[in-house]
Parts: sequence; structure tokens; C-alpha cells
Amino acid sequence: MAEESFLTDDLLSQLISVGEVDLLVGIPSLNNAATIANAVAAVEESFQHAFPRERAAIVNVDGGSNDGTTEAFLGAAVQKNSQGRGLTSLRTRHRVVAHCNTHAQGTIFRTILATADLVRAKACAIVSPASPGLTADWVGNLLQPAYRQNFDFVAPLYARQRYDGLLVRQLLYPMSRAIFGRRIREILATELGLSGRLASNCANRDAWHEAAIQESPQILIAATAVGSDYRCCQSFLGAKMRPPAGPPVDIVSAVRQAVGGLFWCAESQQTSWMNRTGSEALTTFGADHELTDEQANVNLERIFELFRSGVAELSPILTTILSADTYAEIQRLAALDERNLCFENALWARTLYDFASAYHHNLLDRDHLVQALVPLYRGRIYSFFLQHANSSAAEIEADSENLCLELERRKPYLIERWKKPSEVAA
Amino acid sequence: MRDTILRGLAQAYENLVHMIADFLPRFVVMLTIILAGLLIAFLLKIVLRSILHLTKLDRISEEAGASHVLRKAAMPSMSEFLSRSLFWITLLGFILLGISVLQIPELQEQISRLFQLLPQVFVAILIVFVGILAANFVSRAALLTAVNAGYRSPRLWSGMVRFVIWILTISMALEQVGLARQTVVAAFSIVFGAVMLALAIAFGLGGRDLARQALERYVGDREKLREKEEEPSPL
Repeated sequence: MAEESFLTDDLLSQLISVGEVDLLVGIPSLNNAATIANAVAAVEESFQHAFPRERAAIVNVDGGSNDGTTEAFLGAAVQKNSQGRGLTSLRTRHRVVAHCNTHAQGTIFRTILATADLVRAKACAIVSPASPGLTADWVGNLLQPAYRQNFDFVAPLYARQRYDGLLVRQLLYPMSRAIFGRRIREILATELGLSGRLASNCANRDAWHEAAIQESPQILIAATAVGSDYRCCQSFLGAKMRPPAGPPVDIVSAVRQAVGGLFWCAESQQTSWMNRTGSEALTTFGADHELTDEQANVNLERIFELFRSGVAELSPILTTILSADTYAEIQRLAALDERNLCFENALWARTLYDFASAYHHNLLDRDHLVQALVPLYRGRIYSFFLQHANSSAAEIEADSENLCLELERRKPYLIERWKKPSEVAA
Repeated sequence: MRDTILRGLAQAYENLVHMIADFLPRFVVMLTIILAGLLIAFLLKIVLRSILHLTKLDRISEEAGASHVLRKAAMPSMSEFLSRSLFWITLLGFILLGISVLQIPELQEQISRLFQLLPQVFVAILIVFVGILAANFVSRAALLTAVNAGYRSPRLWSGMVRFVIWILTISMALEQVGLARQTVVAAFSIVFGAVMLALAIAFGLGGRDLARQALERYVGDREKLREKEEEPSPL
């Protein structure tokens, strides 16, 4: 049972009215008044069609919206089936609102997981109201494997625009696959499904106060699932679209959030992955990961310039983090003409492993260390754009697979650098 | 005549014996105090070193870059440096205390002044090292932010941040030991004011385009900017 003092009295009293449920869907929100009603409609439609006899509830955990998100959540039209029935529950409430005094994702996710634990949900899904493609099928595809097939962790699969999600495809997926030994493509997804027992385990972990986990709690859930040998699967949802409006893409925040979380989880679970080799494919429901063919509007010159200036300006930091060979090779790349840059898989693998081990050994303030990776990530994606300007989706996918295999092959290099020199000698 | 000389010599001898009899115990006390001081300083050094190891000061110092500065200056680690500083300051204090026991009037006043300064010197050393930690940490954060945002001359920004913190630290340390208080405050005000004025002029005159871009970034047409600077969606 999650520590009850963590949840507010107001939420606890609402949960008494909910009672025990079979299914719980959590909707984290922050100023999503415009889209949350659609999310509620999708969830309730999914309950009506795929789980008509199950007791179900929705919890909206809000991080301090000032646009009436929670009112929109509670006021969203109730979906009824052909017999005019709403959701089935032993008690009277089906929608619960929790207010967090922070908009940190970690606290919001933890509240959802602790709620699932308290109402003894057998399966739980978390969906983002900001996802433009969210449908009832998405919710059903996340809940079905956990509720009916006894899977503990259901990672989503998306059809992506081929130049989107590069941080996931060039770093998070290959690295988490090589380290943890499970092929989970989306470990930082905005949608996921999990069993009640995994939700309970995650809610009670001591890691929630960590800054890296507050930024990216999804990685903690995924790492807990693979680290403790829970049954994991993937479920295809549909096209991952960008929100129609919003601030420009911030690569620095994304890298800090994703890489900080991944490195932290790798360190906290080092005993579970040190001896694993290779990687294990997961059961997949629906289609596999897909790439679509839209072209991207990307300012390549700027990306290259940021890579080149980053390597030059951050040289004192990079020499602390990278091995001498890796740094020399990166310097050579930065000096090349922009048309000839090729950031090869082997070099990228060594770079990532050098950063991971430097993070483990605290060679620098950890947040600074992760930020120092940003220029090199830009170099890598610039090289990706050059290499795949005219490639088909299949060719891009094949190259991604090669990167994953390269990281798996080079895992001994990570382990060697991860261990202290004295341990290696011993 | 002969008697007078002999009396004089006897008197001088008696005075010498008195002086030695008077001085020798004080000298022994001085040596005892210094030896005790040596022992106490050594113990304090060990205790402080253990406490600093427990608080993982070296790790924090390594992360903040202060250890790098110390290594460059061929100095030991931060915890070793602080514990050695405490050793020498304590020992120096006991040496001065010992010398004061000799009751040499000319030395007394100077020693009491030095005594008053000792705690302030120690605090000033601490201020300098906290300043070095802060300057390295903040300047590195500024460097990373500037590099990743694509600003021009990121090392200049980082260097300026470091310079301002050092100036602030040094003036605080000198203020602490009470050296030329008014001069330090005036010098700091002049340097700080000059730096800020230079920045304002440089940004206003030399960086008009940069200022326009910065304003556009915050209040201008975000969509237009997004189109111009788009990077692929990372997640």
C-alpha cells in the first residue's frame, strides 16, 4: 500500500466513494482545458466498448492549471452505451480529481500510481490529454494486455514521422535496449499501461524525490518493469502527431529530461543489468513500430553550427567526460566540411557509454554533464539527416537496428568504464 | 674603587641571574604552550578531515570544478586544504599565545592584533573557497546554456560570470579581514558599476540586432521564429 499521507484528504475521501475498481485510467494535466474533454470521451468510450462489465474509474491529477482544466474534466459529457448505462462501479463516483501543488511529472504520476494501488485496480493506464491522436482504441490497447493477458507493463508503439522522435530512436531506445536487455521502443511515452502490482511497486519506490525521476517518471516505471522481470509487452496505438500549437521544440529540456532519467535508472539498477547480454524481443500487439514519409522542415545549417561550436566551446568539459580517443574523433568530425560529416554508430555508442560512466562516477555536476551531451546529439542527428535524406523508411529502420546492435556489442566497454579502475584490475 | 667594581659586577650578575630566573620559566611555559598547540592543531586537523570526508566535500568540490582549480594550482584536495589551513591557523595562534607569555611589551600589542584577526582570516579563507565553488559552478552553467542556445561568444559570457563572482568574493574576503575596508567597498562599486555600464553600452549600441532578436524571441511572432529555427521533434 502506498504511503497514505502522500495523498490529500480530499482525494482519499473521493476514493472512498469510488471503492475498488478493475480498471483505472490516469490523466495527468496542466492547462489542458481545450483537450481534456476529448480525452475523457475516449477513455469512457473505451470502457463502454471494450470493458462493459468492469468497474472502472478515471483520475485526473492536475499540476495547477489555471484555465479550468479540472472543471472541464468533471463537466465532460458522460458516455453512455446503447442501453443508456454509464460506467459500472460498486459506488457512485467514476471521475476523481486530485490537485498537486507542483507540476512536476513525477509527483503527478506517483499520485496516479498510488491511487491505482489504493482502489486495487487490476490494470491501469496513463494517457496524455495533449496527445492529438488519442482515441478509445488507444486506451483499450493499453489496458487489454494488462487486464486480460497478465502483462505488467504495456509500452506503446506509434507510427512516427520519420524525422520525429530522434532522441528516442537514436539514444533512448538503443541505449535502454543494450543496458536493460529488453526491446522497449518507447520508454518515455506519454501513454502507457501497467498492472496493479507494478503500479503498487512503482508507487512505493524511494526514487520519487530524485530530480531526474521527477522529470521523467515513465523511465522509472519502465526500468522497474524490466529490472524486476515483470512481464512486458508493446501495443501499437497509432500515429504519434505533434500537438497543433505549443512552444518551439526545446532539445535541451528533452535531453535533460530523458537522458538524466535513463542514466539515473541505469545506475540505480546496475545489479540487474551488469550480467545481461544481448536483448530480448517483447510480445507485440498490433502492428510494429512504423515510420511515415512526410518531409521535415529542419534548419540543418543551424544544427551543424551548434554541433561545431559546442565541440569547440565545451572542450574542457568534454575532455573530462570522454575518453581521449572518442574526444579526438569527435574533434576531427567537427573540423570536417558540413557535407562530409558522418557520425558513425560505433563512435556514437562510445560517446553514450562515456557519458553514462562519467555520470556514474560523478565526474561533473550531473545536470551539467547531461547538458554537455546536447551538441553531440545535434551532431549525430545532423549526420542522420545527411545520411537518410533520400532513404526509405525500411532503410532508416535497418540503420536504427544496426545502431542498437552496435550498442549491444559494445556493452563490455560500458561495463569496463562503469567499474572503478581498482575493480577492473581486480 | 676595587670594592665598587666588584659590587657593580656582583649586582650585574645578580640582575642577570634574576632575569634568567624570571625568563626561563616563561620560556618553558611558551614551549609547553607551543607543544600543546601542536598537539591540539594536529587533533583538530584529523577531526575536521574526518567531518569533511563524511560530508563528501571533495565530491561536491569535484562536481563544481573547484578541485580542478586546486589541482591547477598544485594544491591538495579541498578537504585536505581546509584541514591543513585549520592546523596552521591553530598552531600559529598557539605560537602567538606562547610568545605573549614572554611579556615583551613591543610584541604584546602586535600579537593581540593578530589574535583578533585569526578567526576573520579563517572565515575569509572559507569565503574565498565557497566563492571559487560558486564561480566555477555558475560559470559552467552559463557556458552550457549559452552554447546550447547558440549564443555567440559563450566563453565570454561564462568568463564574465566567473569574473563578477570572483570580484564579489574577493571584496567580501577582504571586507571580512578588515583590510582597507573603505577602499575595497569603493573599488568593488567602481569595478562592478563599470562592468555593468560597459555591458549596457555594449548591448545597447553594439548589439542592437541581438537585442531585437532577443525581444522578438520573447514578444514577437513565435510561429515565425519556430518556422525559422525548427529542429526535429526529439520525443
